[in-house]
Amino acid sequence: MKRAFQVGLAVLLFGLALYPTMASGYGIRFMLQLFMWVALAQSWNLISGLTGYVSFGHVAFFGTGAYAAGILVTTHGWHWVPASLAGGVAAVILALLIGYPCLRLKGPYFAISMLGLNEVMRVLVSYFEGLTGGGSGLSFPTQPASVQIYYAMALSALAVTGAAYFIITSRFGLKFMTIREDEVAAEAMGIDTARYKLGAFVLSAFVPGVVGGLFARDTGYIEPISVFALIITITMIVMALFGGKGTVWGPVLGAVTLFVLQELVWARFLFFYQILFGAIIVVVVLLMPRGILGVLQQRYHLPRTI
Amino acid sequence: MNVVITPAMVGQVVISGLLAGALYSLVALGLALIFGVMRVINIAHGTILMLGAYTTFWSFHILGLNPYLSLLVSMPLMFLLGVLLQRTFVRRVVDAPELSSLLLTFGISIALVNMAQLAFTSDLRSVEFLTGAFLLGPFAFSKSRVISFAFAVTLSLFAFWFLQRTKLGKAIRATSQSREVAMVCGINVQRIHLYSFGIASALSAAGGSLVAVMVAIQPEMGQVYTFKSFLVIVLGGAGNYPGALLGGMLLGLVEQLSSLFLTTQVSEAVAYLLLVLVLLLRPTGLLGGRST
Repeated sequence: MKRAFQVGLAVLLFGLALYPTMASGYGIRFMLQLFMWVALAQSWNLISGLTGYVSFGHVAFFGTGAYAAGILVTTHGWHWVPASLAGGVAAVILALLIGYPCLRLKGPYFAISMLGLNEVMRVLVSYFEGLTGGGSGLSFPTQPASVQIYYAMALSALAVTGAAYFIITSRFGLKFMTIREDEVAAEAMGIDTARYKLGAFVLSAFVPGVVGGLFARDTGYIEPISVFALIITITMIVMALFGGKGTVWGPVLGAVTLFVLQELVWARFLFFYQILFGAIIVVVVLLMPRGILGVLQQRYHLPRTI
Repeated sequence: MNVVITPAMVGQVVISGLLAGALYSLVALGLALIFGVMRVINIAHGTILMLGAYTTFWSFHILGLNPYLSLLVSMPLMFLLGVLLQRTFVRRVVDAPELSSLLLTFGISIALVNMAQLAFTSDLRSVEFLTGAFLLGPFAFSKSRVISFAFAVTLSLFAFWFLQRTKLGKAIRATSQSREVAMVCGINVQRIHLYSFGIASALSAAGGSLVAVMVAIQPEMGQVYTFKSFLVIVLGGAGNYPGALLGGMLLGLVEQLSSLFLTTQVSEAVAYLLLVLVLLLRPTGLLGGRST
């Protein structure tokens, strides 16, 4: 079983690596957005799925990364690859600043302070017009790079999924999960919970920052309401929950399923589709806390690590 | 910005701060109630405020009902919605880890906001009632703000009296102190949870009806209030009801004072900075509260 899964995965990755050589422009853009959502949902999973600290403002890192990269590319003439990495670093700095006070306390404080963080970042970015272009946004010089961005997004998704795999199957990950299950017990066992929570948080902020930079390069134009949009946070949470939070493949499964459905049908009925997102969260929390992956694992007796 | 700040300006700002703060107190008291009784942070609290504001808008727009009288419509209506939400959804996650209740109320909030988008569109609406201002010496106060303030203070004090003096209020406080002991004393805890969620929603709806005459109404207006109410609870100490009243006033003052020096947009960020500072320096809140 496990063997078959590994072989299947290798074939899939190989196929995806060759895909741009034969695909249409639309196909490539579709796939790169899919990778973006996998990376985002998986990043949210790293903090919220593993340690149980819900982040309602993960898009703040995405937006920060997008703006950091945007400023470096447009006013300092950086290439978009180092600029996106710098976007990731900017997101990490923000995570350290906000995580240090808020993660020392328990769940709700962190959750709501993240909800506020997004608003604040949007306000600040709109306010400092000289640097960010304010409400009128930042435009990138035109320079199509879809194929390169395809690979960059794919690498980001792969990196964060790989990180999730190594964390979940390691002692390090057990510490995160102990914090999720019982923080007092975790402390009593000698786990420095504040440090590990901050570690998970910083780790989960880096990739959204990078992906934000790539997104900015790909769309060529960013403005505060487009990169600090609450719907982006909602989408990553729904994807991770739907697939199965706290697992390696759940967020991937959730992102793929929901993104394909979204592209095919739902995007035409915007608000209806967001009502459905709300409903999915409610149903998953009440009826299948381990997501569809959890349901599948139970029904077909699949091993936990895949 | 080199603006000369005169004492009159400071006075004006302090009064505006108190006027705004009373509304924060009212709304936050509801959030504090739910948190105190059930240990649930209700992310949909601001969403209910938004629905309250729409109730006022529509009853004013269609029936021509006085916006302040519409409190009599919005409060019972949202009380019922609160009871319904508690009975169908929230009840199931009261004892679950925080992750579940946070996500659940977040899901409810997204669904309700988008239903409102679908039903009412995202157009900005306003209730044009009582424009103009009272003039008193060097100060000017918009009439709607003063009257909303009066209503907010009255309702908060009434809610407070209710919690302190009535039998149901005492049962609610007992449940929030210790659910087990309350149960042993013969209190039907499930029912107290229902009432608490209902009352909290009614308070939030009252806040919504009162802000309806002052700000633009749109489906996403509630999120800011969820955040600010939470900030007020943190300021006052979690599960501390007088703390919520004080915290609201304080938030109003800080916001208004900072708007003397900064633009209104950035004064939102100041409120956030305040949250982070309080969490760092005095995590149990200014009046002290229960740790979570």
